[in-house]
This record gives sequence, C-alpha cells and structure tokens, in this order.
Amino acid sequence: MIDALAAEWLKLRTLRSTSLVLGVVGVVVALMALLAWYAAHLWDGLPPGQRDRLEVSSLPELANWLASLCLAVLGVLAFSGEYGTGMIRTTFTVLPSRGRVLAAKAGVVAVVAFCTGLAAVLATYAAGRLIIGDRPIRGQSAEALSRQMPLFLALSLSIAMFALLGLCLAAITRSAVAAVATLVAVWYVVPIIVNNIPAPWNERIGSILPGALAGQLAGTGNPQSLGGALLSPLAALAVMAAWVAVPYAVAAVLLARRDA
Amino acid sequence: MIEVRELTKRFGRTVAVDGLTFHVKPGRVTGFLGPNGAGKSTTMRVILGLDRPASGEALVSGRRYDRLRHPMRKVGALLDAGAVQGGRTPLGHLGWMARANRIGRDRVVSVIEQVGLAGVARKRIAGFSLGMRQRLGIAAALLGDPAVLLLDEPVNGLDPDGVRWIRELLRGLAAEGRTVLLSSHLMSEMELTADHLVVIGRGRLIADTPMRELTAVRDVFVRSSRAGDLAAALSAAGGTVTAEDGGGLSVRGLDQAEIGDLAARHAIPLHEVTPRGASLEETYMRLTAEGADR
Repeated sequence: MIDALAAEWLKLRTLRSTSLVLGVVGVVVALMALLAWYAAHLWDGLPPGQRDRLEVSSLPELANWLASLCLAVLGVLAFSGEYGTGMIRTTFTVLPSRGRVLAAKAGVVAVVAFCTGLAAVLATYAAGRLIIGDRPIRGQSAEALSRQMPLFLALSLSIAMFALLGLCLAAITRSAVAAVATLVAVWYVVPIIVNNIPAPWNERIGSILPGALAGQLAGTGNPQSLGGALLSPLAALAVMAAWVAVPYAVAAVLLARRDA
Repeated sequence: MIEVRELTKRFGRTVAVDGLTFHVKPGRVTGFLGPNGAGKSTTMRVILGLDRPASGEALVSGRRYDRLRHPMRKVGALLDAGAVQGGRTPLGHLGWMARANRIGRDRVVSVIEQVGLAGVARKRIAGFSLGMRQRLGIAAALLGDPAVLLLDEPVNGLDPDGVRWIRELLRGLAAEGRTVLLSSHLMSEMELTADHLVVIGRGRLIADTPMRELTAVRDVFVRSSRAGDLAAALSAAGGTVTAEDGGGLSVRGLDQAEIGDLAARHAIPLHEVTPRGASLEETYMRLTAEGADR
C-alpha cells in the first residue's frame, strides 16, 4: 500500500493539471484579497451612518466554496485523465490490485485537498484581517484565529470531501465531462433547487447537501448560505463521511468488475 | 512461461476469445498472429489481468497476473504505446512505475539509456513521435528486468533501425532464457524474429508450431533447355513434376542435389535449380483462410 501511495503521489505531482488547479486556487485567494480591499475602500467612502448597511460574505467561506470546486476537479482529473489516454491500463498492469489503486489515489487526493484548502482558507483569513483591519464590516468576523480554527478545519475537511467525491465520480463515469457536470450540479445547482422547494423540506434536504456540512460540523450554522442547519456536528460529520463512502463503495465495486 | 487454458472472453454477444489454449515457453520468441479482431489483444489483456475472462484462465509463471507481487519484476508488457499522459517526462513516467514495484532509480536511468531516450529523458512525452513512444513503452516493459515479456505490435512506427534494434533485443532476451510473446502484423518481420508461432482466428487456435515447419521447403524450381527430357528423367526417379506457366518445372519429392546429379547422368543442361519454401505470409494466409471456413 505504501508503494501504491508513493506511486500515486508521484503521478499526481507530475500531472500538469495539478499545478494548473493549484494555480487557480492561488488566483481565488488573490481575488478574495481584492474583494477585501474593495470592501474596505467602500466602507471608508460611506458616511458613518450608512456603514452598517454594507455586508460582505465571509471571505474564508467564499474562498472555501470556490476552492472546493477546484479541488473536486483535481479529484476528477486524477482518475479521468487516465481513462482519457488509456493510461489506466498501464496503471492496472503496474498495480494490479484495483482496490489498492483507488485507495492510494483517494489517500493522496484527500491529503492534497485538505492541505490546499486549509492553506487557501488561512491565507484568505490573513489577507482579510490585514486589509480590512479593525473596520467592523458586517459578515466579516474579527474573532481571533484560535476561535475560528474549528470552522477553518471543518471547511478544509469539506474540501477533501468534495475532492474525493470528484475522484469517485470520475472512477464511476470514466469521463471528466460527466463527473464535473455531476459535481457542479451537487455543488451549485441542487442547492438552488432545494432552496426553492417548500418548507420544511428545503431546510431538511438543504442540511444534508455537501456544501452545508462544514458550518454544521463547526457548530456555526450556515448564516450566509443556501444550506440548512439542522444537524448536530456529529451528524454533519457522519453525513460528510457518507458523501464519500457511498460513491467510494460504488467506484470500488465497478472498478473490480469492469474490464480496464 | 505463459499458460492460457480454455480461455473464453465475451463482449456482450460477441465471443472474442473462444476456448483458447496454448503455452508460451521460455528461451524462444513466440510470435502471436491472427487477423484483426482475432482476439490477440484481448488475450494479452486477459493475461495481464485487465480483462476478466468468462471462463478459463491465463497464468504467468504459474500464477494469475493480479496475484503477482511487484508484477513488473516478473512480467514486462507493452500493449499500447499511446497510453501515456503527455504531460510527464520519461523520467516521471517510468519513475512512478518503478516506485510502485520497488525498482531502483538507477534502473530507470539505465533502461532510458538502453532504449535510446537518454537525450529526451527530461522532455515532455507529448512532443514524442510514435517511434519514441514505442521505445518508452519498451523501456517500461524492461524496467523490472522481467523473465516474461508480452509485446503487442512493438515495431509499429519504428524506423528500419528501430525495427532491427527490437529484433535483436527480443532475440537476445529469448537467448537469455526469457519468455517472449510478440504480436505483429508484419509477416516478414515476424519471420525474422520469431522461433515459434501461435496463430489464432476468430478467437480460436489455428496453429501452434515451430516457425521452420511453417516455412519448410515446398518444391524445387528447375529450368532446362531440354525440359521434356528432364521431366521424364525426374518422373522416372520418383519425383512429381509439374510444368509451370512461365516455363520451367516444379519438382517435388527430390531435392536439388538429387536433381543436379540426375541431370548430369543424362547430360541434360540445367539453367536454374531453386529450392522454394512457402513464405510465412503465404502460409499464414492459407491457415487463416482455412480457420475462417471452419
């Protein structure tokens, strides 16, 4: 298993799309800094009585939301890239245990996604604090890092969940297009639809959507998102695990059964 | 040693491989021939554990491929030279394979040199020609110094130097006692490289024979200014003589020495005496045509 992990790590590192995706995450962080600068600029320009009305989404959460799609795409490419070129047959000749290949890819992708997500969220937080400073803009938490850390860790965990979801979808569909389309649906389209169905079902279903889980896991709820907040942190963690475990099990069975 | 036993593989209703049994023995190059769609690549994929057979089995060194630990050290394979991700370099591509099978970094460098890619070891594969990709695929097959090699159309896209290089490489590997299974569409190349042939058609075994039996001497072609007298003399000596359209005689049952001696005894001048063997191509065409009728 160590050999498979090391091999998959080498593969992911030498894949061009990996640096591309990580570059896009860097751009996301830069955009967040720009947004912080713009918010500070707006706030400074408003007369003191109207400053209350300026509200800006939590920048680390926004960064996380965008980064989760980026790393989900990284997860997709870690598998679909091999199906697209036929390299998957080389991989399964080099490592004949398909379950081990899936596990190794999942391990590598999860760690890369968690670390990248945490770095992006922390960098956005730091940039936001530096730029916004002590301006009390609504939506921007001025709490110390130690108080925010549970949320940031939960956000990073949800990025790893998205990346693994992408990896498993790619293994199941063997197609980058199909996998990314499904991901975008789960990430963006389904939450909008769910938000528009009648209560109480909008919140019930909204609470178990992947994008709503980090806030519930950290116990902060989802004040600024479409997602609901009915789950306890432990339940949110369980649902998060299910979003990975179910596609993973399907992918493992299909990989073992299908001809490569 | 590769053992294929009663192997059957279906894709939906199509039977790609149909109860196929053959053995590939060490110490010689075994050519694997058959028309397009005969099931060669499918058989190779089943041997490598990529396709699941409906029934039967394929064993490499006595075990199923997917039960081998560090398979690259036991079996080297080249199925499709295009099945690489272009963003990597040869060092990167062979590097992860080596790591997966606990093969040393120095071995990666040495196979890259062996296949003649040392100058482009750090260049992206995307810019490689088909011939260079074939060389990279052969480097991957040789990486684990395996006792068994399976190569599907390895000379595709190679220049004449490359074709000759592969021939000498494979003959050398077989001479070291390794098992080499080689598929190719190029009959002339196969005739020069393989010692033994396995021919399949429509997923079934047509022939499993040494090369020299397939290309054995068939007849002797003779020209003479006194063809009639010669024909009578040869027939009297037990030969079967047939006159050919372009002049000259086809003689069976007598070899060229006997024909020469006989002509000298009767003082008949000879203008040409040529022993003729069937080319592999002719034999192959005949075999696969018969196989298709069955």
